[in-house]
Amino acid sequence: MLNFKKIRLMTKLAVYEKKEGKEDIYLSKYYKTDYVRFQVLKSILSATVGYGLILGMIALYKMEYLIKNAVTLNYKSLGTYILGFYIMTITVYGLGSLVYYSMKYDASRKKLARYFKLLKRLEKLYNDSAQES
Amino acid sequence: MLPLLELRERVKNFYQRYDMYLLPVIKFIFALVVFCLINKDIGYDARLKSLPIVLGISLLSAFTPSAVMVLLAAIISVLHVYFISPILSIMIIAILMILYLLFIRYTPKLGYVLLAIPILFQLKIPYMLPILLGLVSTPVAMIPTSCGVIIYFLFQIIKNAVTMQNNISIEDILQLYTYVVDSLIGNRQMIMTIVIFSLIIMATYFIRKMSFNYAFEISILAGGLLSILGFLISYLILNRADQILSMIIGSIVSAGLVYIIHFFKLTLDYSRVEHATFEDDVYYYYVKAVPKATVTISEVNIRHYNVKNSKAREFSDPDTDESDIYNFEEDNDN
Repeated sequence: MLNFKKIRLMTKLAVYEKKEGKEDIYLSKYYKTDYVRFQVLKSILSATVGYGLILGMIALYKMEYLIKNAVTLNYKSLGTYILGFYIMTITVYGLGSLVYYSMKYDASRKKLARYFKLLKRLEKLYNDSAQES
Repeated sequence: MLPLLELRERVKNFYQRYDMYLLPVIKFIFALVVFCLINKDIGYDARLKSLPIVLGISLLSAFTPSAVMVLLAAIISVLHVYFISPILSIMIIAILMILYLLFIRYTPKLGYVLLAIPILFQLKIPYMLPILLGLVSTPVAMIPTSCGVIIYFLFQIIKNAVTMQNNISIEDILQLYTYVVDSLIGNRQMIMTIVIFSLIIMATYFIRKMSFNYAFEISILAGGLLSILGFLISYLILNRADQILSMIIGSIVSAGLVYIIHFFKLTLDYSRVEHATFEDDVYYYYVKAVPKATVTISEVNIRHYNVKNSKAREFSDPDTDESDIYNFEEDNDN
């Protein structure tokens, strides 16, 4: 016989698993520190590549000037500038993603808690029906 | 209003019944429009313009997530430019990479905005998107919107640059490159567009969040007005008075379209039918879960008229306790 209470519960769970729960369940495989650290690393890496590309484009743009003044250029101050902006960029991206991904992880945990509550209720239903039969 | 509400109900029912087939069809049509517009605007490579390829990639994007369509559109655009000028296509890839690495990768769900902005610019109603995003999204949507605007103007510049380049020597490449960068960075219209779009998103978002009657409708109106005002000022500064008329019409049409979308949004958003498949030890379940929608019921007006005469008072005599009667009836049932 069909147990409609169970079906309703299972449908709720299945819909969650299929849609928004997909990411939450994926996140639950990580510890918070591991997940956040990995994401921060990824965004710092991507910011580095992006910064490098921008730098390359600026260098190409100023090519004529660079070649003309290749001997007299003050490389020390130039390098400091580049490094300074780089540190600023990765600090902003690193801190930003630290905050963002921590919040995201916490939010997904909250949603997961509700999911597990429903799962537990389903388990109880199973146990009850097993005892009856 | 009533026929419209009925129409909405009918659309909802239709959507609920056929949503499995309807969604790919809508996506297919959207993809077809996107790829045709790309081909029309920068279609340098005749091979990519052939019907089987356009239909094929549209079909592919109909059954895949929206990110795939964005990627395909980017690839097609780059290939078109590559056909006529490899140098320019490398520049495009570099700029797109920068945009992706620094900005777009943080808003993966709004990727379609990147595609929609250039497409809506082609259709002369780009003002629609910031208003809509203010309604359905958060101010974070400013990031992909700005990137979309940059991409649109980048391709406009590339179109000019393509006509410039003929014989390629190293010096020409540098010249071409400086031309593209100069006109991208010095493009005041682009910067103003980004600022105005961001303002529209903010304004619509915050007005929508306020708690007074018709907040949604007023926020759409405010977005439309802001767009007209902002672009009026920007065009007057840039001395492009010829575009003002089309801008005003475009803004009004955009606001109207957003209102229509908002009208049906309740329907399309909340009546999402879910198909779930699962099993237990006895059965396989193929469940179609249809959300209960009670939109139209709230439109019904119920008015109570209190009849003040002696007969009416007899029924509500405080001496007879009605709850007792009901209890008695219940006992009888048992």
